[in-house]
Amino acid sequence: MICLSLKTLPPGWLSGHLLPMSFPPILVLGSIDAIRPVFLIVMGLFLMIVAWRLCHSSTGWTARVIAAGALLLGLGYGLIVPMYHAGLIRPYSPAAPHQGDVSIAMAFHAVKILTMNGGWLLFGIGIAMHAKLLGKPAPRRALAFVSPDCIPTHTSAPHVSLIRSRH
Amino acid sequence: MSLLLEVVIKNGILFDSLGILGLCLLGLAAMRLVRRSQSWGGTMMASGAISLLIARLFTLLSPHLITEDFLVKIGPLGVSLTIGLPPLLLTFGLAGIVWGLWGHERWLREEIR
Repeated sequence: MICLSLKTLPPGWLSGHLLPMSFPPILVLGSIDAIRPVFLIVMGLFLMIVAWRLCHSSTGWTARVIAAGALLLGLGYGLIVPMYHAGLIRPYSPAAPHQGDVSIAMAFHAVKILTMNGGWLLFGIGIAMHAKLLGKPAPRRALAFVSPDCIPTHTSAPHVSLIRSRH
Repeated sequence: MSLLLEVVIKNGILFDSLGILGLCLLGLAAMRLVRRSQSWGGTMMASGAISLLIARLFTLLSPHLITEDFLVKIGPLGVSLTIGLPPLLLTFGLAGIVWGLWGHERWLREEIR
């Protein structure tokens, strides 16, 4: 049934502007043209949710930097880039700067540059701090002088401090 | 044009480099997580960061490197790859990073139990 009804649609209906008003919006979201923006929105939101789950029980700078990076990336992937894909924002091009409203295009271009690159930088720094990549290497312990009784039976990994047990 | 806008637009390459630096840090940190803790999320995050890094570098460098002579030299298959591969790498890279972060978060929760 769906295949038969799709054949009767005019060419270009996938882009949305020729879509009949009777179609529910979910079909527009599921169309081939919209798959990539929808994927980006889902990934941006999921990244923010996972980062919040990772960091909400911690108050250190690592958690703050990861959360800030994930927020910027969520804004970029969830809002700015899909708006470009949807054609709501005209992309700024230095080669042809006189098309359309230049100031709006430049402002959104600057916002995109700042959110995406700033987001990846902060997120990368946060994960690097979490993995103890940026700190000084831990000094080697002289294990030969440590009695076996002093060695704890259960040692947690050094980077589990982001999530703290609530029990 | 405001001063901030002018600074951001004219120094786009500087901000792009900062983003590349962040992706490099993310990849290295994910590899370190894999080595130290065998977290499978770290493996996904590292592969995602590497593919995203390759795609970003290709996007930034292609206007300077890819000329008409180069396109003629690599043939139709190469041209198709230069068009099709970067979006694929960007897509799988982002999905890998998000999936890896989710996996690492689950691994951390299992560690503290």
